Amino acid sequence: MKTHIVAFALSIIISLSARAELKWEQTTIELHPAAADKQAVGHFKYQNSGKTPVHFKSVHASCGCTTAQTQKDEVPPGDKGEITATFNIGDRTGTQIKTVTVETDEAANQKTVLTLKTVIPQQLEINPTFLFWKQGDKPDQKTITVKVGKEFTVKHIKVTSSSPDFQTKVEEKGNGEFQIDVQPQETKNLIASTLTIQPDDSQKVFYATARITNAPTVQ
Amino acid sequence: MKFSLTRQAITLAVLALLPAAGEAIYFQDKISWRSPIPPSESVNVDQARAWGQNAIWVDARPDEEFAQDHVPGALSLNEDRWNELLPQFLAAWSPGKKVVVYCSSLSCNASREVARRLRKEAQLPDVFVLEGGWEAWLKQK
Amino acid sequence: MNKTPNVQLATPNTERTEDSTLAVGRSALDVWRLLWRILDFVVAGIFIYAGSIKALDPVRFANDIDNYKILPWPISVALAFYLPWLEIFCGLALIVRYFYRGALSILMALILVFTLATIAAKVRGLDITCGCFGHASQHWSFPAHLATNLAIIAALVVLWVSDRLTKSL
Repeated sequence: MKTHIVAFALSIIISLSARAELKWEQTTIELHPAAADKQAVGHFKYQNSGKTPVHFKSVHASCGCTTAQTQKDEVPPGDKGEITATFNIGDRTGTQIKTVTVETDEAANQKTVLTLKTVIPQQLEINPTFLFWKQGDKPDQKTITVKVGKEFTVKHIKVTSSSPDFQTKVEEKGNGEFQIDVQPQETKNLIASTLTIQPDDSQKVFYATARITNAPTVQ
Repeated sequence: MKFSLTRQAITLAVLALLPAAGEAIYFQDKISWRSPIPPSESVNVDQARAWGQNAIWVDARPDEEFAQDHVPGALSLNEDRWNELLPQFLAAWSPGKKVVVYCSSLSCNASREVARRLRKEAQLPDVFVLEGGWEAWLKQK
Repeated sequence: MNKTPNVQLATPNTERTEDSTLAVGRSALDVWRLLWRILDFVVAGIFIYAGSIKALDPVRFANDIDNYKILPWPISVALAFYLPWLEIFCGLALIVRYFYRGALSILMALILVFTLATIAAKVRGLDITCGCFGHASQHWSFPAHLATNLAIIAALVVLWVSDRLTKSL
């Protein structure tokens, strides 16, 4: 009975080691790009520790914003390589998790999921990014709150309005908080303005929109 | 009446099903079994079409996919060019309009993200995600 | 009226020593029984509390399960409705001492699966800050979660062993 168990265990071990050919250094990579970076790149390194070459059947990303490249389609035994995952940050914010699914010919349905976790630094958090007054409403003052991200220090922000019909005023609340007061001159016309918010010494620009909208039509 | 261990475990497991089923009925309007999007934040193609002119359609897919084909009259608003595309969307929006955001299918995440940002950052009310996305729209054509 | 004072004098001594050993043995057993009952209530309390928190907001719990990215969404919803009540019923079983071993085995299975899922999520780099206490524990760190789970597993093992020992007495 014992010999049967040993033989069984050995056969499992042997078959497992024959299968596990492509060894990945990491299957999850966390990236911390700088505020001005447009892309975040993760290098998923692998090595073929088996005796037979490994072919990549498919490499595809979970979204269009991430592209994944393999340097080669076939990996000879012993060879090393990497899959490069490039995440286009665009105008995204917060922590973004994107995956790349790699299919090889190692075993039936052998799929490896590579995870790219990108922590996008947020220099300013603007709330809300849209202020509106209905046509005919009183042209009251409305406010936008700006909070500075924890890893950043911003002493002043500059706000410019694309249209002179909207007045803006910046108040410094201290503790990394600012307040932008916005007021239209009148609400008769359907005017709009893009507010450009720029932190001092920074090249990055943030936006908010102010406009006069149609009054909702009665249903 | 001493039950065996298995009997005991099974009895407890079955007993717990009762209040669980009760809760499932109680909460049926607050959670959808098909997708993580709450029922109050999603809409199917028929409902969205019934809104007619009151609806603004938003395509959350990347530029190339939008250019290939999109819902007639839909505006492109994706996270790649959010800052650039948002103002023209806001120009089309007015209070009372219902926003219908879609991406390629039931499983893609972009529409949820765009909808979330419209609700949170622009603080718009009545923002919905289209169930089934572009795939569902095509089926209805 | 047969009085045998010698015999009577002899027996109280042996009786007293027998009594005292028995008494010591009995009180030790009582203390153990008391501690065991206390542990019953503590463990039951933990699971009833954890289950109740999750039963109050099944929508959130379903999303939390979904975050582990192990199960399809409909299963997450089903478990979100079911698991909290399983915890509550098993906790109650511990308190009323009915279906005791069945409850212990279910709770043990639940927490083992849960601990493995938490470790798997950590290894995959998922941002899981919520453990078996729902969002009440969302500010705990991974080591704190793991330590709590291991402590509960240990307590369950103690209860199981105590139960087996009394059965063999």
